[in-house]
Amino acid sequence: MSTYRHSFLDEPAVRMENVRLSYERTGEILSAIDLILKQGSFTFLTGPSGAGKSSLLKLIYLALRQDSGLIRLFGQQTTDMTRKQLALLRQRIGVVFQDFRLLTHLSAFENVALPLRIQGRKVESYRAEVEDLLRWVGLGERVDAAIPSLSGGEQQRVAIARALINKPDLLIADEPTGNVDPEMGRRIFRLFQELNKRVGTTILIATHSIGLIDETEASVLHLNHGLLVKSDLEGLYR
Amino acid sequence: MSRRETPLLPVTEARESALFFVISALCFLAALAALTGHGTYKAATAWRAQIDGDLTIVLRSADLAMATQVTEAFNQLSTVIDSDILSREEVERLIEPSLGAGGIPEGLPVPIIITVQADTLAGSPIPAMREIIESRNLDADIANNAEYAETVGRSLALLRHVAIAIVLLLSSTAIAVIASATNAALLARREIVEVLHLSGAADRYIAKLFARRFWLLALKAGLAGSLAALMVTALLVFSGSSAEGVEAQLLPRLTLGFWDVAILLACPVVAGLAARLAARLTVMSSLKEML
Repeated sequence: MSTYRHSFLDEPAVRMENVRLSYERTGEILSAIDLILKQGSFTFLTGPSGAGKSSLLKLIYLALRQDSGLIRLFGQQTTDMTRKQLALLRQRIGVVFQDFRLLTHLSAFENVALPLRIQGRKVESYRAEVEDLLRWVGLGERVDAAIPSLSGGEQQRVAIARALINKPDLLIADEPTGNVDPEMGRRIFRLFQELNKRVGTTILIATHSIGLIDETEASVLHLNHGLLVKSDLEGLYR
Repeated sequence: MSRRETPLLPVTEARESALFFVISALCFLAALAALTGHGTYKAATAWRAQIDGDLTIVLRSADLAMATQVTEAFNQLSTVIDSDILSREEVERLIEPSLGAGGIPEGLPVPIIITVQADTLAGSPIPAMREIIESRNLDADIANNAEYAETVGRSLALLRHVAIAIVLLLSSTAIAVIASATNAALLARREIVEVLHLSGAADRYIAKLFARRFWLLALKAGLAGSLAALMVTALLVFSGSSAEGVEAQLLPRLTLGFWDVAILLACPVVAGLAARLAARLTVMSSLKEML
C-alpha cells in the first residue's frame, strides 16, 4: 500500500479547523466548522434537513473543496495533495451514499468488488472476500442479482458492503437507514458497531434516527444552520 | 465458477450507434478523398513523365521525302533522343475529334507531323531544329508539349492539394465530433464517473476506460467506412478500366495498389487514435472540474 496508508496513530482521522463552505445559489452552508474525529471513534452527525450534514460529509470524503479553513485526514492536509494522492486517500475512505449510487449495469457482486477492481486486483483474488461480505450483510443468496431487481433495503446493503470491502480506515454513511425498515436499520447499526469495535474503523454517520442513536454509546454532533453545535472536541474522543 | 468482468461503462447506448454512423461516413469520405488525391498525383506524375520532352512539328509544305530528311537531321542532334513521322492512320486518329470518324476526305491536304522526344537534361533542341527547318525553306510549327503540360500539371497539383485539404478537414471534423460525443457520454455517465472517482479511481484510470471505449468504437466505424470506400473504389476501378487514351490519363485514376490499400487501412487506425486522444483529453479536462 502507498505511503498514504501510513499515518500517525495519534493523529485524528479527521481534523477540521475553521472550515467554511458556501454554494453560489444558497450562500454559506457551513460556517467556521471545527471538528476532530479521533481514529477508531464512532460518531453520529444529526441536524435538520438543509443543515449542511451532507455537505460536511462531502468535504470529508473529498467530493467538495472548502472555501476556507483547514482539513486534515489522517494527519495529511488535503489542500496540499496532488490528484493522484487524493485518489489514494479516497481508497482509505468508505462511503455509503444516501442514494446508494450503485452501478445499475453491474451485479451486486461487481458493485461490491468495484473498489478492489479499481485497485487492479483480479477477480480470482477477491471472489471469496466479496461473497463473504455479501453473506455478512444478508445477501448471500443475491450475489449475482442485477441491481434493479433488488429491493431498496437490499440495495442499501450492497452499498454498505461496497463501502466496507476495502477495509476502510474511515467509514462515512449518509442516512444509511433511510430506506430500510427499523429492524434492518438496527442490524445495519450493529454491523457498523461491530466493524468499529473489531477492526477499529472510524465511523461517521449522518442520520435522523434518534431512536437508534439512543441505543448506542456513540458521540453525537449536531449541525444547525451551518454551525456545529455540541462539538465538545475532547468529549468526542472515545 | 469463473466470472467475466462486466465493462465498467455500459456497453450499449443509442447515441453510440449514431456516432458509429457519423465516424463511418467521415472515414468513408476521407478515404475516398485520400484515394482520389493519390490517384490524381499518380496520374499527373505518369502523364508528366510521358509528356516531358515531347515536341510536335507540323510541316505544311513538305513531301514525305523532305520530312524524312528533316527527321534524320533531328536524330543527329545530341539533344534529341528520337524523332519519327506519324503515319497517315495516326494523323487521322489525332484529327478524328474534329473531322469525325471515317477517315480524311480525299483531296484534303494533310500536314506531315513529326514527333520528337527530346533529352531534357541535355538542353532544348528547339533552336537547332529551327535551323534545320529554315535551312530547307520549310513552313513549319514547333509545339513544345511541356508548355501546356505545365498548365495542366498545375491544375492537377491544385486538385491534389484540394484532396489533401478535404482529408484534413474531414479528419479534424471527425476529431471534433468524437470529442463532443465523448463529452456527451461523460455527462450521461457522470454518476458512474463520480462513483469511480469517489471509490478511489485515479483520473487516468477513468480516462482509460473512455479512451478504450472510443478507440474501439472509432476503429470499428473506421473499418466500416474504409470497407465502403474499398467497395466504391473497386467499382470505379472495374467500370473505368475500359477508358483509354487521353481521357483515361487526364481523369483522376482510382487504383488499388499498395499505397491505396495502405490509405484504406490507415483511415480506421487514424480515426481510432484520434478518438482515443480526444476521449482521453476530454475526460481528463472534465475530471479536473471535480475535486
